[in-house]
Amino acid sequence: MVNAKRPLLYGFSSTECEAQGKGVELAEILGSLLDNTASVCHGPSLLAIQDVGAPTSTLGEYKNRADLVVFWGCNPVHAHPRHLGRYSEFVRGYFRKDGRNDREIIVVDPRNTHTAQIADLFVQVNPSEDYELINAMRAILRGTELDEKEISGVPMEDIVTLVDKLKSCNFGVLFFGMGLTQSLAHHRNIDAAICMVRELNDHTKFLLTPMRGHYNVAGANQVFSWNTGYSYSIDFSKGYARYNPGEFSSVDVLMRNEIDASLIVASDPASNFPAASVRNLFKHPLIAIEPHHTPTSLNADIVLPPAIAGIECEGTAYRMDSVPLRLRKVKDAPGECLTDKEILEKLIEVVKKKKGE
Amino acid sequence: MPEIKLKFKKNVDFPVEAEVITPDIFAGKSPAEIKKLEVFHGNEAKTLGDFFDISGKTGEIADTKIVIDGDVSNVKRIGEKMTGGEIIINSSVGMHVGNNMTGGKITVNGNADDWAGAMLNGGELEITGDAGNYVGAAYRGFWKGMQNGTIKVQGKIGDEALTWVTGSKPAKRFPTLICGSAGDFLGIHGHGGTIIVEGDCGRGTGADQVRGTIVVKGKVARRLPSFKKIGEVKEIELMNGEKITGKFVEYGGDHSVDKNHSKIDKKTGEISNSSNGRLFIAA
Repeated sequence: MVNAKRPLLYGFSSTECEAQGKGVELAEILGSLLDNTASVCHGPSLLAIQDVGAPTSTLGEYKNRADLVVFWGCNPVHAHPRHLGRYSEFVRGYFRKDGRNDREIIVVDPRNTHTAQIADLFVQVNPSEDYELINAMRAILRGTELDEKEISGVPMEDIVTLVDKLKSCNFGVLFFGMGLTQSLAHHRNIDAAICMVRELNDHTKFLLTPMRGHYNVAGANQVFSWNTGYSYSIDFSKGYARYNPGEFSSVDVLMRNEIDASLIVASDPASNFPAASVRNLFKHPLIAIEPHHTPTSLNADIVLPPAIAGIECEGTAYRMDSVPLRLRKVKDAPGECLTDKEILEKLIEVVKKKKGE
Repeated sequence: MPEIKLKFKKNVDFPVEAEVITPDIFAGKSPAEIKKLEVFHGNEAKTLGDFFDISGKTGEIADTKIVIDGDVSNVKRIGEKMTGGEIIINSSVGMHVGNNMTGGKITVNGNADDWAGAMLNGGELEITGDAGNYVGAAYRGFWKGMQNGTIKVQGKIGDEALTWVTGSKPAKRFPTLICGSAGDFLGIHGHGGTIIVEGDCGRGTGADQVRGTIVVKGKVARRLPSFKKIGEVKEIELMNGEKITGKFVEYGGDHSVDKNHSKIDKKTGEISNSSNGRLFIAA
């Protein structure tokens, strides 16, 4: 890593915040690229938020107040199983005493998912045509009559009904997932969705929240932001942090084969990245700090197995609505396993010595 | 015109960040001084002389002409923030060519990578081949993209060109893009840009456009539902007063933008449902 001219540090989303902070420090000393899994997950949401802002709130607010919940391009029954019971659907809140009966659930998805099957209204949209649907909804919301009969596979009457429902609720919330961020149009889907939610606030109270993936990917964004000013896709090659997704984001850098060494912490790019970029990742020396057997750790040149954060060591993690929570230690790590933070601290020490600082 | 020649010596594995290649920095320097200018290759600081053979002489900024030969498709940020003079690149070029430039001219005799002419604020960028995504676009988080100047691309361009473009008739700022064909979301969040596409366009053309003119002489893959047909026209007047003749269908939009400048009609004082954005598609 010290001799590398263009090293990549990637991951950090399944470990605690103190280790992530050390990761940023190591990246700065090495002059490397630094990225987290938001790059292939909710990075587009962050781009859209930087473009048009975001009306959002914590999950407790939704639990106590929301009477209309929209799940757009996400399937929490399988992907976030405790979400429905604790925050958004079945839970009884202060102003929603009757739980599920006090809430209306709308699902917008190309597939009839298990979440769609327990919803009050299911809107089936054509794959990757969400942008046009949101666009039409915004125009209708503004009072424009549109010429078309059907948009993205949804009949016009259904769109008008949907917009009426969104306008007439007391407190609405839009949860969105990979279906919006990683289908075609990517961040422009979120851009349009945020604009729609913003405009819905002319009629009622409406908020939105991304359904994040890794348990601490929100934390990685927070830690990177307060250390460098940017939440992902960071380049330290000039000694200071620069940000440009598309140029410094790990998938794009790997597709162009622009790295010569990589350090992967607490994530599994080999399973999630496009095959062509994974091939380029394996061409160069690969170090993994990873407690699990994953395609990445199996193909790594060096594996440093750490204690599992939140089970074998304590720390801090951010929930999907950016609320920091304390992780507790449940049991001791096997053998002489160090934590992610301790491993990164030792690496920083050695790198500093080798660089002569 | 004093001319200085740069020849790229060798192929590199990673991009070279050469934001120093501008007439502004070269002006008044000898080739020996120019060779010592700092460029970054990966995380290593090197000199321009390590990558380029340099010969010729320079003059004032406006008189300096830089000619670049050899394959510079892995050299980024040529002509960044230049204010005058001329650069001629006789090959394909890397990312960010001519970003933030305010004057002068860049000619690329080849293809350009992403962010060509990003946030242009004057001057002229001409590309004879194709260009990547984000031509003339705003960088992440900026609410004002290209504000003045002209970009001409003879080939096709990628997605999301001219995002957040901001033009103004009273201030005589007419950001203009002329291209062969375009990808998706051309001119998204436009505030007064002029875009002329000689061929076809992808989906989402003119999305969230508040003001501006987009002329498509071919087809649009999927016109947004929020654009409403106004009628057919035979002549289009662009923002800078120039005219285009031909049979076009005129659409108004984007009607989904709520905070529209045309919301209250200045003459009648009533809330208007029209839009100042215009999309013309060949009939």
